[in-house]
Amino acid sequence: MYTIIVLLPLAGFLIAGLFGKSIGAKACEYTLSGFMVVAAILSWIAFLSFGYGEGETLRVPLLHWMQSGTLDVAWSLRIDRLTLVMLVVVNTVSTLVHVYSIGYMHHDPHRPRFFAYLSLFTFAMLMLVTSNNLVQMFFGWEGVGLASYLLIGFWYKKPTANAAAMKAFVVNRVGDFGFALGIFGVFALFGSVNFDTIFAGAADVAAQLGGGHEAAAAGAGAAAHGAGDVVLNFAGYGLTMGSALTVVCLLLFMGAMGKSAQLGLHTWLPDAMEGPTPVSALIHAATMVTAGVFMLARMSPLFELSPSALTFVTFIGATTAFFAATIGLVQNDIKRVIAYSTCSQLGYMFVALGVGAYGPAIFHLFTHAFFKALLFLGAGSVIHAVSDEQDMRRMGGLRTHIPKTYWMMVIGTLALTGFPFTAGYYSKDAIIEAAFVGHNSFALYGWGMTVIAAALTSFYSWRLIFMTFHGKPRASADVMHHIHESPLVMLVPLYVLAAGALFAGIVFEHSFIGEGYDEFWHAALYTGAENHVLHDMHEISFWIAILPTLCMVIGFVVAYMFYIRQPSLAKETAKRNRGLYQFLLNKWYFDELYDFLFVKPSQHLGRFLWKTGDGKVIDGLGPDGVSARVLDVTGRVVRLQSGYLYHYAFAMLIGVAALVTWMMLGGAS
Amino acid sequence: MSALLASYLPIVIFVGVALILGLALLVSPFLLAFKAPDDEKLSAYECGFDAFDDSRMKFDVRFYLVSILFIIFDLEVAFLFPWAASFGTLGWFGFWSMMVFLGVLTVGFVYEWKKGALEWD
Amino acid sequence: MMPDMLSSSLQIAAPELILAIGAMILLMIGVFMGEKSAQTITGLSVAVIIIAALWLILVTPLGVGFGGSFVLDPFARFMKILVLIGSAAAVIMSVGFAESERFNRFEFPVLVLLSTTGMMMMVSAGDMIALYLGLELQSLAIYVLAAINRDSVRSTEAGLKYFVLGALSSGMLLYGASMVYGFTGHIEFTQIAAVAAESGRSVGLIVGLVFVLAGLAFKISAVPFHMWTPDVYEGAPTPITAFLAGAPKIAAMALLTRFTVQGFEPLSDQWQQVIVFISIASMAFGAFAAIGQHNIKRLMAYSSIAHMGYALVGLAAANTEGVRGVLIYMTVYLMMTLGTFAVILAMRRRDGMVEEIDDLSGLSQTNPMMALFLTVMMLSLAGLPPLAGFIGKYFVFMAAVHAGLWPLAIIGVLASVVGLFYYLRIVKTMWFDEPAEAFVPMAIELRAVLWVTGLVVFPVYIFVSGPIFAAAEAAAKTFF
Repeated sequence: MYTIIVLLPLAGFLIAGLFGKSIGAKACEYTLSGFMVVAAILSWIAFLSFGYGEGETLRVPLLHWMQSGTLDVAWSLRIDRLTLVMLVVVNTVSTLVHVYSIGYMHHDPHRPRFFAYLSLFTFAMLMLVTSNNLVQMFFGWEGVGLASYLLIGFWYKKPTANAAAMKAFVVNRVGDFGFALGIFGVFALFGSVNFDTIFAGAADVAAQLGGGHEAAAAGAGAAAHGAGDVVLNFAGYGLTMGSALTVVCLLLFMGAMGKSAQLGLHTWLPDAMEGPTPVSALIHAATMVTAGVFMLARMSPLFELSPSALTFVTFIGATTAFFAATIGLVQNDIKRVIAYSTCSQLGYMFVALGVGAYGPAIFHLFTHAFFKALLFLGAGSVIHAVSDEQDMRRMGGLRTHIPKTYWMMVIGTLALTGFPFTAGYYSKDAIIEAAFVGHNSFALYGWGMTVIAAALTSFYSWRLIFMTFHGKPRASADVMHHIHESPLVMLVPLYVLAAGALFAGIVFEHSFIGEGYDEFWHAALYTGAENHVLHDMHEISFWIAILPTLCMVIGFVVAYMFYIRQPSLAKETAKRNRGLYQFLLNKWYFDELYDFLFVKPSQHLGRFLWKTGDGKVIDGLGPDGVSARVLDVTGRVVRLQSGYLYHYAFAMLIGVAALVTWMMLGGAS
Repeated sequence: MSALLASYLPIVIFVGVALILGLALLVSPFLLAFKAPDDEKLSAYECGFDAFDDSRMKFDVRFYLVSILFIIFDLEVAFLFPWAASFGTLGWFGFWSMMVFLGVLTVGFVYEWKKGALEWD
Repeated sequence: MMPDMLSSSLQIAAPELILAIGAMILLMIGVFMGEKSAQTITGLSVAVIIIAALWLILVTPLGVGFGGSFVLDPFARFMKILVLIGSAAAVIMSVGFAESERFNRFEFPVLVLLSTTGMMMMVSAGDMIALYLGLELQSLAIYVLAAINRDSVRSTEAGLKYFVLGALSSGMLLYGASMVYGFTGHIEFTQIAAVAAESGRSVGLIVGLVFVLAGLAFKISAVPFHMWTPDVYEGAPTPITAFLAGAPKIAAMALLTRFTVQGFEPLSDQWQQVIVFISIASMAFGAFAAIGQHNIKRLMAYSSIAHMGYALVGLAAANTEGVRGVLIYMTVYLMMTLGTFAVILAMRRRDGMVEEIDDLSGLSQTNPMMALFLTVMMLSLAGLPPLAGFIGKYFVFMAAVHAGLWPLAIIGVLASVVGLFYYLRIVKTMWFDEPAEAFVPMAIELRAVLWVTGLVVFPVYIFVSGPIFAAAEAAAKTFF
C-alpha cells in the first residue's frame, strides 16, 4: 500500500510527461487527479489504521541504491506516525490542488506539462517524507526544489517568472549546501546515513553527554569521558562530540532555513508567487516549505542533544514570525500577503521546534496546510474571478459577487488568526504556550514575538478580507462585468479544505499534543529526558493562555477601524510614519541588501570570469586558440599542395634525402 | 679478377668498332658531301616537326603511337634473340614460356589492331 | 625446372592466372564486341574476380612457388581476399557511373583486373624481382585508369602526374633494391634477412632500405611521398578513385609489411624509425590538410593519407600484435572507404556528378538513409566507438603502446582528434545545413555496397570480429 501511495504520482508524472501530448490534456488531468485521489484515500486509510500505542516503525525496502565503502544507501520507506501525518497532508492537499487546477488552468495550453510537474512534485515530496535515510531525503529535497523551480517558471515566457524561478533555485542552493554539509557531518559522526543507525548513535551520545553534564554540574571540572575527544574537524576547528553535534545541527537547520524560507533565506518565497496559484497553494504553503520543519522533527533525536542549536532555531523562528508579519501588513498583492503569512507561520513552527515542542510544531504544520492552502486556493478563485488581477487595491466589494469564495476565505482567515475552536486556535496557541514555558534563553523572546505576530497576523488577514471583499468596488467596470463565481471543480476543494480548517484542530488536538501524545507519536518524535515542555504548557495561567486570542481580537478591531470604519485612517497612518511604511513596504530592504552584497558582486565576478577568465584566457589559449592554430597549420599545409609536378617530385626527393641522411648519421646504432 | 675482366674483352672490342663506325659515318658527310642548302631541304622532316624548337607546339600524336608500338615489338625481338640462341638447352619449358609470352603479345596486338591504332587516318 | 615443381607453383599462383587469363579473354571479347560491351565486360570481370577469390579460398594450397619468388602464406591470403573485395566493389560501383556519365569503356574493368593481378603478385612477392613486377603491373594499369577519361583535362593531368611521380618512385625503389642486392648478394627476402642478421647494420644496406621504403611509401601515399594523392583522387573519374583508395593501398601495405618484417627483421630498429617518422608525418599532415578541403574526393585523399599513417603505427610496433593491428586496420579501412565512395558516387544531380562538400547540405532531409550511412562512415573514419573504425585504431594504438611507442600512440590519438573535426563537419553539413537540391535516387549497386559496408562497420563487425581477429592473428604469426 505504501509503495502504491509513493509510486502513483511517479506513474502520473511519467504518463503526463511522456504521453501528455498524445493522450490530450483532458485525459491527463483526469488520470492524474484520479491517481492522486487514490493515493490520498490510501494515505488516510494508512493514517487511521496505523496502530495507536503499539504502532511500530515500519520499513518498506524498495531497491538497493548504492554502496561505497561504509556508505550504504537503500531506497526504502520509513513509515511511522510522522511520515503518515506528512503523507496525509501532502496527498490530501496535492489531490485537491490537482482537482482545483482542472478548473483554474482551464485556459492554459500547456496543461499536460503542468500536471506532470505537479505529480513530479508530489512524488519528490513523498520521497522526502518517506525517506529512511538522509541521502534519500536529500533526493526528495532536491526533487521538490526542481519541481518548485519548474512550476514557478511554468509561464516561462514571463521574465519575472523566470527570474523568480531562478531566485528560488539559487537561494535554495545556499540552504542545500548547508544541508549537504550537515549530511556529511552526520556521516562523519555516526558512520551512516540511515536513520536507525543515526538515532541509535544519538542515544549513545545522549547517555555519554548526560553523564558529562552531571559531572560538570558536580564541579568535577574537566570532563573525563569520550565526549571530550575531537570527533570532527570543521572549518579548521577540532570539535568535540557536543560542539560537533551543534555544528551538524546548525548545518541541517541551514538547509531547513532555505527550504522553509526563514529569515535570511526567505527572499525567494514572495517572488515564488509568480507561479500559478495552485502551485503556491501546494508547494509554497502546504507542503514543500514545511519540509524544513519536517526534517527538524525527523532529526529530533539529534537536535535534542544540542541546546545551542535549538536556541538558534528558536531565535530565527521567532524573528521570522515577527518580521514576515510586519511586511505582510503593508503588501498590496493578495498572494504576497499570504506568502508572507506563510513565512511567518513557518517561523511559529520553528519556534515550537526550538523549544523542543515537536508535537505542536507538526500539529501546526498539519492545520496550517489546510487553512493556508484554503487561503491560497481562495485567493486563486478571487484572481480567477477578477480576470487575473492580483492587486488588492483594485478589488474591493467582491463579497456579493463571489459569496462562496468569500465565505471560504473568511473560514481560512478565522483559522489562520486562531479564532477559538478553529484549527489554528489549537495549534498556534499551543506553540505560543510552549514558547512561554520553554527553557532556552530565547524562549521568552520567542513567546513575545509570536504574541505580537499573532496580533499582526490578525490585522493583515482581516485587512486582506476587507480590502478584497468589502467596501466599494475599485476594479474597472469591464472587470466587474466579467466577474463570476468559480466552477464547482474549484469550489469543492475549497469546501474540503474549509472543513479541514475548521475541524482539524478540534479532532486531532488530543492525539497531536494532548493526552494521547505518547500513544499517537510513539517513537516517531524524540524528546530528551529533561524536556518537559509538553507537560508544562498545559499548566500555564489563564491570562497567558488567553493572550493570543486577545491579540487576535485587537488585530481584527484595528483592521476593522482602518479599512471599514474609516478607510482614510490607513492612508494617514502610512503618511505619518512614512519611513516605517517604506521600510515595511520594501520588505526591510532585504532584496536590496542581498542585491548589493551578493548579487551585484557575483554578477561582476561572473562577468569577469566569463569575459576575461573564460573568454580570453581559457578559450583564447584553449579551444579557440588551438583551433586557430590548427587553421593556420592547415593553411600552410594546403599551400604546399601547389599542383606543380616538380614541387611534388622535389618533396619526394627532399624526403628521401632527409631520411637517408638521418638514417646514416643519426640512426640508431 | 683479370680472367673476369678478360672475358669482357669481346664486348669492349664490339663497343669500339661500333663507336668508330658511327663516328665515321657522322663525320664523313661533313668532309665529303656536296652541300647546296635551301629552305626546303633544311625544314623539319622527322615526325613532322622541328627537333629544336619551342616545345609548346602542335604535333601529331600518331607518330608516338606508332613508335611506341614499334618499341614493344622491338623488345619482343630483343627477347627472342637470346631465347633462340639458347633454345637447345631450354627445352619444352622454354618453348612454352615463349609461346605464352608471344600469346600475351598477340592479344595486345589484336587489341590495338581492332582499336584502329594502326590506321593512319 | 622440374615439371612437378612447375605444376605446384602454378597451383599456388592459380588465382593470379585466372585473373590474368580472364583479363585477356575479356579484352578480346570487348574489342570484338565494341563499346556496347562495357556492361557485359563489367559483369564478367566481377565474375572473374569472384572465381579467383573462391579459388583462392577453397582450392589454392599454401606454399612457396617459383623458387621462392611467389609466396602464399596466411598473411598473403588474408590480404589477397581484401584486395579482391576492394577490386570487385570498385568494379560493381562503376556500373551506374558508366551509364550516367556515358563513360562506356570496357577497358576499365579489364584494367582493374590486370591491376588486381599485379596487386596479388605484390602481396605474394617473395623476392625483389617479384616485388617490382607486381608493383609495376599494378601501377601501369592504374596510370592508364587515372587518365582513362581522355576528354577531361583533370583526368589527363591526374594520370600524367601519377605516371611521372610513379616512375620517379619506381626509380627510387629499383635503386634501393639494387643497393640491397649489392650489399647482401640476395634478392629473396628470407635470405636478405639471414645475411642482415649476420652482418648487421651497414650504410649501404640502410641506404638501400630507405630507398625501397620510399618507393613503397609512395604507393601507400605516406608523407612525404603523398603529394600525388589529392590531385589524382580529385582528377580521376570517381569509380577509379574508389578503386585507387581501396585495393592498391592494401596491396602496397602488405608488400611494405612483408618487406620490412620479413626481409629486414634483423634491422627492425632501423626501419622502425623511418616508419615512425612517416607515420607521424602522415597522421598529422592528413589531419591538418583535410580541414582546408571543400572537395570531398580531395578530402578523402587526405583522409586516406592519415589512415595510412594510423596503419603504419601498427607496423612500427614490429611484432605480431602490430601486424595483426595493421591487418585489422586495413580490413576496416577498406570497408569504410568503399562505403564512403558508394555515397560519393551517388552524389549526382540531374545535371551530373557533384563532389563539393556543400552539395551534401541537408542530405538528412532529402535522403535520410544515405545521410545516416555516410554519418556512420564518417564517425567510423574518425574512430568513434562503438563503430568499427574505433576497433581498428584501438588495435594499432595498443600495439604501439605495448611496444613502448607511447609518443607515437599519443600523437596518433591527437591527430585523430584533429581529424574528427573535418569528419564531423560533413556530418554537420548533412544534418544541420539548409537542404541543397536533392540527388537523384541511388543506384541499386551503390545501395548494395553501402548497405553491406555500412552494416559491417556497425554492427555486424561485432559478430564477425571473432573469426576475423583469429584470421588476422594467424596471418600475423606468419612472420614471427
